[in-house]
Amino acid sequence: MKGVYLSNLPLSAKVFCSLFLLGIGLGSLAAFTQAATAVGLSYEDVKGSLAPEMPMTHMGHGQMSMEKEIDIGQISNTAKVWIRTPLLIQTSHTHLFGQTLIAGLLGLIFLFSSIKEWKKALILALPFIGTILDIGGMWLTRFVWQPFAVLVLMGGSIFALGYVMIAVISLYELWLKKGASV
Amino acid sequence: MKKYKQFMLLTGFMLCFSFTVQTGITLAHITPPVVLISDRDAVLSMTQGAKKFFVREVRLKPEEREALRKELGWQADEEFYRFYLGRDDQGKIVAAVAFMTEFTIHGPVRVAVGLGPDGKVKGAKVVELTEETYPWLKPLLDQDFTQNYIGLDSHGNFTVVGAGQAGGQENMTLFYGQIVANLIQRAAALFDIAVLKRGDI
Repeated sequence: MKGVYLSNLPLSAKVFCSLFLLGIGLGSLAAFTQAATAVGLSYEDVKGSLAPEMPMTHMGHGQMSMEKEIDIGQISNTAKVWIRTPLLIQTSHTHLFGQTLIAGLLGLIFLFSSIKEWKKALILALPFIGTILDIGGMWLTRFVWQPFAVLVLMGGSIFALGYVMIAVISLYELWLKKGASV
Repeated sequence: MKKYKQFMLLTGFMLCFSFTVQTGITLAHITPPVVLISDRDAVLSMTQGAKKFFVREVRLKPEEREALRKELGWQADEEFYRFYLGRDDQGKIVAAVAFMTEFTIHGPVRVAVGLGPDGKVKGAKVVELTEETYPWLKPLLDQDFTQNYIGLDSHGNFTVVGAGQAGGQENMTLFYGQIVANLIQRAAALFDIAVLKRGDI
């Protein structure tokens, strides 16, 4: 970046970048706790929350009503959160804006890293790709094929991988890299 | 010094790895919901005396959808609706339970409604809302306000009273209380139109 690198930023910029990275990390931990308590953390949990509601009675096309005896155990006894389409729309728009902004600000900091250009391009793309896979996976799970739930987990993991790489490399260059001026 | 650096690098890597895995799963994030009771518990609590359980799924005819729209201003556009039926030893319906949801700007509000074979409300429980709507509705939930609608059929008076202890948030309390009341009324109307009037009980 034309001679401007994280390692030679002024102190105020270093503090700003470091606290921003810290804040995003803490936000991720809070999100982890929320996801663990609200939905669950396994592939099955995510699939169960996003998959569309299917008839229990195998009601045929054109049939107006059907009844079937069930065991009471077939009704869920866990307080499951089921994400229906309106909630998916709401979640998508807030998280697409939010995560893209976070990815953008992370990328903005990382532009001033001194690593090779192709590595920089690859790493700063990760949070954007993760976001698209994450939210896209939710829609695909709901409307195309339930096993696409794995994309939600992959997307989240790629976003997180990108964040961690950006944070670690940036903090190293900000404070530890030889030639870093404070 | 070299060993110290290697130790720090290894420790850093392990911390980052575990953080990545945890955060990755985390980012399957969802708007915070509040689930007050499981579906099974809601069904069991409103079908006391039932010996057998059935699930009845119904599709609405165009004229039935139109009747609901005219009667309640409700656009019933789900592909199908589900009732859980509790029956006694003779096969007679003890109660039917429907789960009704309204998607508000603050997230979903979901209610379980128990209905008798005569179409009258036997009980109702708020099953799910959100972290934002829960404090607004709590004053009414503490008063067990859904009990006010027991014995009403779909033509009854489903208005909310008693939000006076909402501590300055009466408007939101009343607003969400009315949403719950409307859901109870919708369940009663749905059961009336899609089950009782079809003579399919």
